[in-house]
Amino acid sequence: MVNLTIDGKQVKVGKTATIYEAAQEAGIHIPVLCYAKKLLPYGACRVCLVEVEQMKGRLIPSCTTPVTEGMVVTTSTPEIVKVRKTVLEFLLVNHVIECPVCDKGGECDLQDLTYEFGLSTNRFEGEKFALPTDEINPLIERNMNRCVLCGKCARVCDEIVAYGSYSFINRGFESKIATAFDRGLNCEFCGQCVSMCPVGAILPRPFKFKARPWQLKEVDSVCGYCGNGCTVTLGVLGDKVETIRFNDKTGVNDGNLCIRGRFGYSYVNSGDRLTKPLLRKDGQLVEVDWKEAIDAVVDGFGKARTEKGLGILSGARLTNEELFLLKNLAQTLGTGNLDHSGGECYKGLTEGLKETLGVTASTATFPQVEECDVILAIRSDFYETHPVFGMVVNQAVKRHGAKLLVVSDKKGKFTKLPNAQTLLNAPGLEVNVLNAMAQTLLEENLAVIDGVDGSAEFKISLTDYTPEIVAKQTGVAADAIREAARKLAAAKKSAILLAYGLPYTGASRELGIAAANLAILTGSAGRQGSGLYICGEKANSQGAVDLGILPAGGALGAQGMLKAAAAGDLSALYVVGEDPLSSYPDRDQVEAALEKASFVVVQDIFLTPTAEKADVVLPAVSFAEKDGTFTNAERRLQRVRRGIPSPGDAKSDFAIFEMLAARCGSPVKYTGPAAVFTEITASIPEYAGISFDSIGPKGIVWGGETLAPARKKVLPAAGGKASEGPFTLVTGSALYHSGTVSTRAKGPMAVVSEPYIELAREDASALKVNEGDLLTVKGNGAEIKLKARIGTRLPKGVLFAPYHFGGAGINRLYKGQTAVAVQLSK
Amino acid sequence: MSNAAENVQEQEIDLAGANQVIDKYLDMKGALMPVLQGIQEFYGYVPEPTVPLVAERLNVYPSQIYGVLTFYAQFHLKPRGKYIVRVCMGTACHVKGAGRIAGTLEERLGITHAETTEDLKFTAEYVACIGACGMAPVIMVNDATYGSMSVQKMDEVIAKYKAME
Repeated sequence: MVNLTIDGKQVKVGKTATIYEAAQEAGIHIPVLCYAKKLLPYGACRVCLVEVEQMKGRLIPSCTTPVTEGMVVTTSTPEIVKVRKTVLEFLLVNHVIECPVCDKGGECDLQDLTYEFGLSTNRFEGEKFALPTDEINPLIERNMNRCVLCGKCARVCDEIVAYGSYSFINRGFESKIATAFDRGLNCEFCGQCVSMCPVGAILPRPFKFKARPWQLKEVDSVCGYCGNGCTVTLGVLGDKVETIRFNDKTGVNDGNLCIRGRFGYSYVNSGDRLTKPLLRKDGQLVEVDWKEAIDAVVDGFGKARTEKGLGILSGARLTNEELFLLKNLAQTLGTGNLDHSGGECYKGLTEGLKETLGVTASTATFPQVEECDVILAIRSDFYETHPVFGMVVNQAVKRHGAKLLVVSDKKGKFTKLPNAQTLLNAPGLEVNVLNAMAQTLLEENLAVIDGVDGSAEFKISLTDYTPEIVAKQTGVAADAIREAARKLAAAKKSAILLAYGLPYTGASRELGIAAANLAILTGSAGRQGSGLYICGEKANSQGAVDLGILPAGGALGAQGMLKAAAAGDLSALYVVGEDPLSSYPDRDQVEAALEKASFVVVQDIFLTPTAEKADVVLPAVSFAEKDGTFTNAERRLQRVRRGIPSPGDAKSDFAIFEMLAARCGSPVKYTGPAAVFTEITASIPEYAGISFDSIGPKGIVWGGETLAPARKKVLPAAGGKASEGPFTLVTGSALYHSGTVSTRAKGPMAVVSEPYIELAREDASALKVNEGDLLTVKGNGAEIKLKARIGTRLPKGVLFAPYHFGGAGINRLYKGQTAVAVQLSK
Repeated sequence: MSNAAENVQEQEIDLAGANQVIDKYLDMKGALMPVLQGIQEFYGYVPEPTVPLVAERLNVYPSQIYGVLTFYAQFHLKPRGKYIVRVCMGTACHVKGAGRIAGTLEERLGITHAETTEDLKFTAEYVACIGACGMAPVIMVNDATYGSMSVQKMDEVIAKYKAME
C-alpha cells in the first residue's frame, strides 16, 4: 500500500494505482476523457492534469502517473483550471458544434466538461473538419468530425476485443481514427467502441433519434442470449427497449458486450410477437382467450397421461424460478420425460461430469481466468459461443502473458492471439487429442494421481492414444500434443474451457469426461485460481442443469422423446421456449414427432416453425419482460429484471406454469420469483443459504469462487473416428447469432442475415467457387443448397455451417454427430 | 465478414513477390517496417492486396498497417511514376519562383502534387526543402538534382526524361 495526500486528504491505495485512481477512490473528482477503467493508461487528452509537489514546475497527467509514497497532489488550483480550460479550447477548435442533433447530448463527456468549465467562447480559431459520416453498416455510425482522438475505440478494439478495427491514420492535423484504407466499418459489431467513445463520434445507429438519454429509464438485467451472463442495462422508453447502455458497475462483464447483447435486443419490440393464445380449430390456428387455451392444454395432457404419456422439452432461457415451477409441473403431470436442449449435449456432459468430478458446473469463476498462466480451450472458439468470455481470455494472454492452447477443428480469433498454440484436429476428434495429452501426462509422470480413483485402469485405456497414434488419426503433431500437455502440467494456475450446446451434441459425454480427466490429472479442478469451465450455450443453461431439467430416473431425454413420439410411442409434447424444428439435430425425426404426437403445445414468444405445427400455442414473454434469476456458466446467480410490459395478453412462463399447475390439481400460488427462489434454496443444496434479495450487482456465485470436486475419478473416454469422404461438415455457433431467437433481431440480421456454408480458400479455388455461389451439400441422405462463404480459418476439406437458420435445413444433414461426411458441388 | 461489407474492387496482383519479402523477415522481431519497405521496393508502391496478406502472416491488424503506411511519407499506396519529379517549395525556392516551375510541370504533364501521369512515367511531388538553397529554384528527378530552374530549363528536363525509356 502507498500513502499519499490528495487535496489535503490522506489516501491509502494499492501500489499499482495511478493518481487518478487514488483520487477516485478518495471521492475526489478529476475530469477525464481518454481514461477508462478497463483500458491501459494512455494520457492522450490532458484534461486530467494535476499538480504534484514533488514534481514542481509542470503539470502531471494523473491518469498515467503511478502513485508513490508521500506524494502530495493538488487536483484543483486556479492554474490547473486555466490549463484544463485551454485544453478544452484546443479540443473545441476542430470539434463541430452540432450538439442539438447529436444523440450523445446529455451523456457526452466533452459537452459535460465544457459545461463544467463554463466555456462559452474560444480564443482559438481553426478549421473544422468536414469528413463524411460512415453510415455504411447498419449498426454503428461514425462521425469523425466529433472525434477528440482519445483513442479509446482503437484501444478497446485491440486490448479487449482483439479485433483491431481502428487505428490512428495520417499525421499531424490530418490525424484521425480510421479502419484499414479508411473504409466503412466492417467488423464484429460488438459496439465496444460505441460504449467507450466519450463524445458523439461513434454512435449506435439503431438508437438514432429514438430518445434523449435523460428520458430513458435504466433497468439492470442479464442478457438473454448466451451462458456468459453479461449484465445489460436496458434503456427503456415507454413500452420499448430503445437501447442497451454501457454499465461497468454491475455483473462480471465490465460493461463489455458482444453484438448479440448490444444490438440483439430489438426482437423484444417486434411486431411479430405472439400476443394471444392460439388454438387449432379445423386445422387452423386461431386466437382464443387464455381460459379456452388452458382448458385445451389440460384436456390434452390429461388424455396423454392415460395414453402413451407426455414429454416436456424446455428451453434454457427460462429463469430458475420458472424452471423450478416447470419441474414441479412435470411431477404434477406425472411425467419424468423432461429435458432441455434437444441435442442431449447437456445430458451427456452432465452424466460425464457426475462420474468424474461429481459436480456438474464450472469449478472456478471467469475473473480468475485472467490470472491463469495456461489456458486450454477445447473444441469451439469462445469468441463465437461466449464472446465476452473470449475477451477475458484475450486479456489474460495479452496483459498477463498466459499461454493459450487451442484444441479445435478450425482456426479462430483465439488462434491469432500471441502465444497461442493451436492443435488443429480433423473434425470430431477432440477427445482423441485430449486423451493423448492425458497419456503424455501419465507417461511422463507429470500427472497428479494422489487421491485420484481409477488411474491404473485409465492408463491402460490410453495405450491406443499415444501422441504418435493420435497424430496419425487427427493430424495434430505428436510433439505439439506433448508440448501442450507439459505446459498444462507445469502451470501454477490453469483453466480448461469447454463450450457446449445444441451444435455440440455428438460425444458430449466423452468430451466432458476427457476434459475432466485433464482437469484432474493437472490438478486444475478444485485448485485455487484454476478450474474447468463448462460453458452452456444459453443464458440459463447452468440453471437448467442445477435445477435438474433432465430426464428423471430412466425417463426419456430430448432425443428419446422425439424418437418415441415419431414412432407413435408418446402422445403429447410440451415444447417451452424451444424451436426444435429449426435447431434440433435430425429435422426429419422432429417433423415426424410433431406429426405423430397427437397433441403438441408450444409456449414461445414467436410463432416459430415448431409453433406452427402445434395444437395449442401459448404466448410467453422475453427476458426483458420478466423478473427472476439466471445462473451463468460460472455459477453466478444474477437478477433478471422486468424492463417493459408484456405485449398483449402474453404471460411469463412463470404465470403460465402456475396457471397450468393450478388447473392440474396443484394449486400453489407464489407471490413472485422471490418466494419460489426461497423454495429453490430449500431443495437444491448448492443454492442453500442464498436469499433472493442478497443477490447484489455482482451476483452471487453458488459454491464459492473455487468449487471443490466431490470426487476425482479418471475414466476412459472413447475417441472418435475421422469421417470419410472428401468433405466434413461441422455445425456450430456463429458469433452474430445465438440459438434461433437472434434471427428475429434486427442487429444480428443486419450483419448475418442468411445461412451460409464456409469453406477453405483452397477448396474454393479447386472447385472454382466464388463468394456467394450457391453450393449443393449432400450427406446423411439429405441435400441442401447454401451460399458459399470463403474463409481463411478452415483447413482443407472442412466445411462449417451455422445452425441458427431453420429454413436452410442444416439439421437435415446434421443428425447429432460430431462431424458429417458430405459431398460438395457447385 | 459481413453482408454489410462495402463492395471493394479487388485489385488483381501477383502476391508471390510480397510473400517472398515476408518469408525473408518472418522470424524477425519488428518485421513490419522492413516488410513494407521490401514490398514497396518490389512493386514500386504498397498495393492494397498485400496489406491483408501482411496482416495475416505477421499477425498485425490491417488497420495498424494502414496507420503505419499513412504515417510515414516514405510509403506510397498508389503506383508511382518511373521518374519522381520533386519540386522544392522551400523559402528560397519559393522566393525565386518555385510556383512557376510547378506550374510548368502541371501545364506540360497535367500532374500536380502527388499525382502520376497515366503512362506511369512521371510523378510530381512538392517538397518542403531539398537542402540546396544556393541553387534555387531547384528540382530533383529521382536522384538527379537540377538547379537554377527556369521555365525553359524545365521544358528541357521534361523533354529529356520523356525521351528516355
